Amino acid sequence: MFSYRRYLSRFFIRLGLALFTLIALGPVIWAVITSLLPLSALTSRPPDLNPLNLTLENYRLVLDSSRGLFSGLINSFIIATFTGAVGLVIGSMAAYALARLRMPGSGTILMMILATQMFPGIVIAIPLFLVMSRLHLVDTHFALVVVYLSFTLPIVIWILKGFFESVPMELERAAAVDGASPLQTFRHVVLPISLPPLFATGVFVFIESWNEFFFAIILTRINVKTAPIAIAEFSGQYQTLYGQMLASAVLASVPVVLLAIIFRKFILEGFVEGAIKA
Amino acid sequence: MATLELVHIVKKFGEVTAVNDISLRVEEGEFVTLLGPSGCGKSTILNMTAGLEDVTSGEIRINGKTVNHLGPYERDVAMVFQNYALYPHMTVEENIGFSLRLRKRPKDEIRERVRKVAEMLELEQLLHRLPRELSGGQQQRVAIGRAVIREPSIFLFDEPFSNLDAALRIKTRGEIKELHQRLGVTSIFVTHDQEEALSLSDRIAVVRLGHLEQFGTPEEVYARPASKYVARFIGTPQMDIFSGEFLRQDGLYYRIGKARIPLPASIQPPAAAVDMGVRSEFVRLGAQGFPAMVRLVQPVGPFTYVTVEWQGGGVTARVNGVSHLKPRENIRVEIDPEGVLFFDRGTEKRIDL
Repeated sequence: MFSYRRYLSRFFIRLGLALFTLIALGPVIWAVITSLLPLSALTSRPPDLNPLNLTLENYRLVLDSSRGLFSGLINSFIIATFTGAVGLVIGSMAAYALARLRMPGSGTILMMILATQMFPGIVIAIPLFLVMSRLHLVDTHFALVVVYLSFTLPIVIWILKGFFESVPMELERAAAVDGASPLQTFRHVVLPISLPPLFATGVFVFIESWNEFFFAIILTRINVKTAPIAIAEFSGQYQTLYGQMLASAVLASVPVVLLAIIFRKFILEGFVEGAIKA
Repeated sequence: MATLELVHIVKKFGEVTAVNDISLRVEEGEFVTLLGPSGCGKSTILNMTAGLEDVTSGEIRINGKTVNHLGPYERDVAMVFQNYALYPHMTVEENIGFSLRLRKRPKDEIRERVRKVAEMLELEQLLHRLPRELSGGQQQRVAIGRAVIREPSIFLFDEPFSNLDAALRIKTRGEIKELHQRLGVTSIFVTHDQEEALSLSDRIAVVRLGHLEQFGTPEEVYARPASKYVARFIGTPQMDIFSGEFLRQDGLYYRIGKARIPLPASIQPPAAAVDMGVRSEFVRLGAQGFPAMVRLVQPVGPFTYVTVEWQGGGVTARVNGVSHLKPRENIRVEIDPEGVLFFDRGTEKRIDL
């Protein structure tokens, strides 16, 4: 009786997981299939899924064309990398200070950092555009890096603060007693144990910036179109080139997937450690 | 080896005074315990000695030299932390050898010294493990190893046993005592466990609310506590202290409710009110003395603690071995006048009468 119930509950857990995986993976699979089919196969009713139709033509077209996907990927890469790097440097320093130093009003500072997250993007879009255009920053990498930092930094700070708080103060004290200077303590003790959460948040910021669409479309014109915008442009007024659009989308997800795979261990550890106390 | 002097040490955190004018001198090779409840300032004293925290005022001297301005490392002290504070990403070998690596000692020398320390602490088999792969007791020994390898002039221990279970705690206590006998390094040990303090120390500094309540040998703080506070803090079961009064009526008595405890006539009762304290080993149950009734019988192995009460008072007696007394049984109680202590009711200080 007992083992039967356990079997049943396991079955439902697996069923749930399978359903979730299907829902999460469905669009991805559909995107990959679509990117491999010619437009004619897609527009016929019902769609012609004959495997003989599979072709890499869409990929060839998007990489060749003057559609701007390639420069979009480059732009996205520059922006996401800078946002990630700057976000980590500023965020880790702020988080460390908030976690470790006795500062008057640090609670208020933390709440204000969180409060910046409570406005929907649409509310600040127009003021932000006005500010950027007055500063002649529209259509620059810099503008997007600044905007993305403003979204991601609060999250970086909160996650890393949680992690730093979980690191016992005694570790640093022990290093000091062992004869380490503050710099050596950072280099030999704090940094090595902070790598997983640093990687995790770095990857998180990279992905957020890489995927962002709304502010990218508002703040860019021609020069710094990012990948998501380049992808969206396949959808024209008279015709949508689904195959090419999704081929671009698949290409654009490759760096993110690679990052996730390479740093999988770090990301898991990092989020777990940050989450325990955050 | 070194002497350590704290001279009028004061530590304030904002408005709060954590340590209030503490002075004490630790002799070369001595093992001194700072004993007190949590929050009494004992760990702060240790951190200031280590150089991890600044003093607000006062002087810390090691070997007669003022070290206030020196960092932890330059003071040549080593510290064992409450949660061990092992570097989680380093193996046991790297943890123990970290201070030598920072000092850029030759690799061979480091390996040799780590090996020696590991041998002494029975860690040879564990050198390549990470801290998280060790048991609590093993982590504890690594933490000690990290302190020992430095060959410091003073060891500082911050409640190093509090994360161990009871059995391991007593075993480790023995190991630390042996280590001290062997190395003879001046040691300061912080604990809230009076039994630990009694069993380890050459001298005990009882700390209360940031000031030094008493500084003496285990025998002194146990048998001649400076105040009611020390008397209650040290010893199991807690000393019984009565708010009674002296009575002179064909001989001298101390009256506690209905009970009258005879005292030597040589005692001169002062005018001020006086409390009387007695430890359980000086209370005898039997056919002699004043009548009382058994309330509670608590066997602890070699002894049984029997609490008796009478109208207006109660006391706990230590009976050797097993007691066959039952609750509500009537019995007579005698208190050995040799074992009684007197405290000024106003100042709470112990007074000799």
